[in-house]
Amino acid sequence: MAEEFEPKIVAFLCKWCSSAGSDLAGVSRMEYPPNVIPIQVMCSGSVSPLYILSAFKKGADGVLVSGCHPGDCHYIKGNFYARRRIALVKELLEYLGFDPERFQMSWVSAAEGLKYTEIIKDFVNALKPLGPQTKLRRNP
Amino acid sequence: MVKLEDLKKEAKRILKSGKVKYIIGYAKGADGLMPIPAFIKDPDGADDLTWNPACVHNLTKFIVDEKKRLKQDKNPDNRPIGIIVKGCDSRAINVLLQEKYIDREDVYLLGVSCEKTGVVDEKKLAKKLKGQRAVQIDVEDNGNFIVTTESGSEKIPAEDVLAERCIECKANFPVIFDIVFGEKIKRRVDNPFQSVEKIEALPQEDRWKFWMEQLDKCIRCYACRSVCPMCYCDECVVDTISFVVEPDTTAEEKAQKIKWIEKSPNLSENIVYHLTRAMHLAGRCIDCGECERVCPLDIPIRFLNKKMEKDAKNLFDYEVGFDPDQPSLVSSFKDEDPEDFIR
Amino acid sequence: MEKILQKKAFPKWVEKLDAYEIYAPVKKDNYWSYEIINTSGDIGLDFPNTVQAPKKIINPQREVFLEFGRSEENSLEVTEVLPEEKSGVIFGVRPCDAKALLLTDLVFSGDIKDGYYGKRRKQTAIVGLSCNTPPSPNCFCTSVDGSPHSQDGFDILLTDLGDRYFVKSLTKKGDELINLGKSIFTAPKDSDKKELTKIHTESEKKLKRQVKDAKKIPPKLKEMFESPFWDEESMSCLRCGICTYLCPTCHCFDISDEVTSVAPFKGYRIRTWDNCQFPDFTMHSSGHNPRPDKASRLRQRIMHKYQYFVERYQNYQCTGCGRCVSKCPVGIDIIEVLNKVRDYG
Repeated sequence: MAEEFEPKIVAFLCKWCSSAGSDLAGVSRMEYPPNVIPIQVMCSGSVSPLYILSAFKKGADGVLVSGCHPGDCHYIKGNFYARRRIALVKELLEYLGFDPERFQMSWVSAAEGLKYTEIIKDFVNALKPLGPQTKLRRNP
Repeated sequence: MVKLEDLKKEAKRILKSGKVKYIIGYAKGADGLMPIPAFIKDPDGADDLTWNPACVHNLTKFIVDEKKRLKQDKNPDNRPIGIIVKGCDSRAINVLLQEKYIDREDVYLLGVSCEKTGVVDEKKLAKKLKGQRAVQIDVEDNGNFIVTTESGSEKIPAEDVLAERCIECKANFPVIFDIVFGEKIKRRVDNPFQSVEKIEALPQEDRWKFWMEQLDKCIRCYACRSVCPMCYCDECVVDTISFVVEPDTTAEEKAQKIKWIEKSPNLSENIVYHLTRAMHLAGRCIDCGECERVCPLDIPIRFLNKKMEKDAKNLFDYEVGFDPDQPSLVSSFKDEDPEDFIR
Repeated sequence: MEKILQKKAFPKWVEKLDAYEIYAPVKKDNYWSYEIINTSGDIGLDFPNTVQAPKKIINPQREVFLEFGRSEENSLEVTEVLPEEKSGVIFGVRPCDAKALLLTDLVFSGDIKDGYYGKRRKQTAIVGLSCNTPPSPNCFCTSVDGSPHSQDGFDILLTDLGDRYFVKSLTKKGDELINLGKSIFTAPKDSDKKELTKIHTESEKKLKRQVKDAKKIPPKLKEMFESPFWDEESMSCLRCGICTYLCPTCHCFDISDEVTSVAPFKGYRIRTWDNCQFPDFTMHSSGHNPRPDKASRLRQRIMHKYQYFVERYQNYQCTGCGRCVSKCPVGIDIIEVLNKVRDYG
């Protein structure tokens, strides 16, 4: 039986909100696909475009950046800077001809465990038909 | 009309007064059409100055060089530097001022207006002349270029050989200057981002094919980075040079040192290099076009940076290089910033 | 051996060479470049010189040396990666670029032999095209012991006689290539040989730029090491690296390890071109840099080519192709610099 393609998602989650939200999903025994590799960052504003490009270069099929809702950032303004910067990265990747569905951003608070599971479910379903990411992946 | 004699007179005047250390301008090259950057230290040297549509270079890079040289000088001469700036170059000065890399007193700006035309694209001109070599180019009042080759002169309408960036230019008159030559003539620019929109209009797979072919050519000579006045980081993310290795540096530390971009020219590394550079220039690139001009393999680097400029304007209402007091694009935000892409 | 090849028959000869990988100059938008040709009809030898020298084929920008990784038994395995066994032919190489390969041979196949370079060099045949007119306005090969019809470094040299090529084979490899074509070639007539001599003699006079008395330059350079001359000349240098990367004789390289995956552990040891004009070329791991400024790096480039190499190998390390002059973004002109050096003081 042919193995179904399982996309690998790298998720940059801000420690204070999104990572806590994903923990809540786990503690509450909510079911969601195991395709995520979570990386905890202090703030979504600290996510550099290099992290995102590096994840794609190493073969990630999808990248998610998730932070606190606007106004709720633990460092006051970090997520506002992220909003601008990630918008630019998204535009640039799309301009290059990269699939725009592979790179997503979300606001997930520490209480939104359910929202987190839904985001991951939808992300995995969107990535499955696209197949493995080959465009930015490093071929030695 | 920009009168070269007035330019030379002013250069001589400020050099004689000792107000400036030297003047950076354009002088005639040893051979052929293109001028070379010249560093005029005494008033008599000002006779070497030239000004014509072949003066494409962005001289603000040498201001950055001078700043770095001063840091290592034991007895620095802190007088300002005179520099001849076109409209685009003056926007570069504004960005350097905005980022507080230089102070206003560090430069004395001799602005020149491009009036109805701009600078010539050497490759377009070579195609137009069909193999003949141009030795001189001048501009007429009505906006035509007069090109002299070995076999005589001919008139060429400026739009046929103007650099792409001049066709989309919003600043044909210097936006900051101490003294300016030439008149302010408003040029109609129908669509300042038409070159970017042409690529955006392509279907996704065609776009990817286009960029893949272009970025595969890259030999990582870093000429684009070296010529850009905005690339002034002491240590570039590509180079990782300042990791000091001492006798007690552990193997663990050496292995953990993060290398974001490998040295060898692989397609994926080239993409990461160019995208990173475009991101670092978001809100800072003023489209002087030098990166594309110097690339030995004709990679259209300008289109990447121009896309960032378009996004800055359309998404965040941010104009690069017109106001030296505005905050930088990525270290500021507005409440109205678009977030429809965020779930 | 000497033969005549009609231009119309040229693609037929190329078709016979299907056992070889063929490189020829291809026009890409605004510039020419040596690329692999798939159909013989694509070859046109009507071209000015290419932007990148043929050194990129024999000494590639990226060359894998070793492959290393951890096997399943957790032992470290290292395998050598040699260049592929593939015979190649490069068409349309100009005499300056062929001489450059000979100069690089002195370094890579001299006392110490580089196996990777040597393998590629041995399995690639060089078919050249002599320059009836200078391909670049900045050519100066005659000033550095070269000539537009020099035979150094070629397996076969073609000279354009209008509707046909005069084909001269200079090595056994060249003979083999011609024998694969056999009946496509004809014997040269006396009129062909006369035409050849005429074209060759005239071609030498057509070069527009010269460095007169280049012999005076190496001793002059030795005296000028501490001179402020270099500060003035390098003021506008942008350390962009174009001159070195496009130069057919420049060959400095860097070796680095690239780890492609951590679990399982796998990586490559790769050689890439390096560039003495980059600020970190001479950066020591202690942080000290003996060539921290542009003046010392420009001095290094000129002295390496016109003094150090002459002392070591009795040859200028420059073949006068003029690429650095044409492509320098700020117009730093090596011909001007050399003329100034010769007359300095």
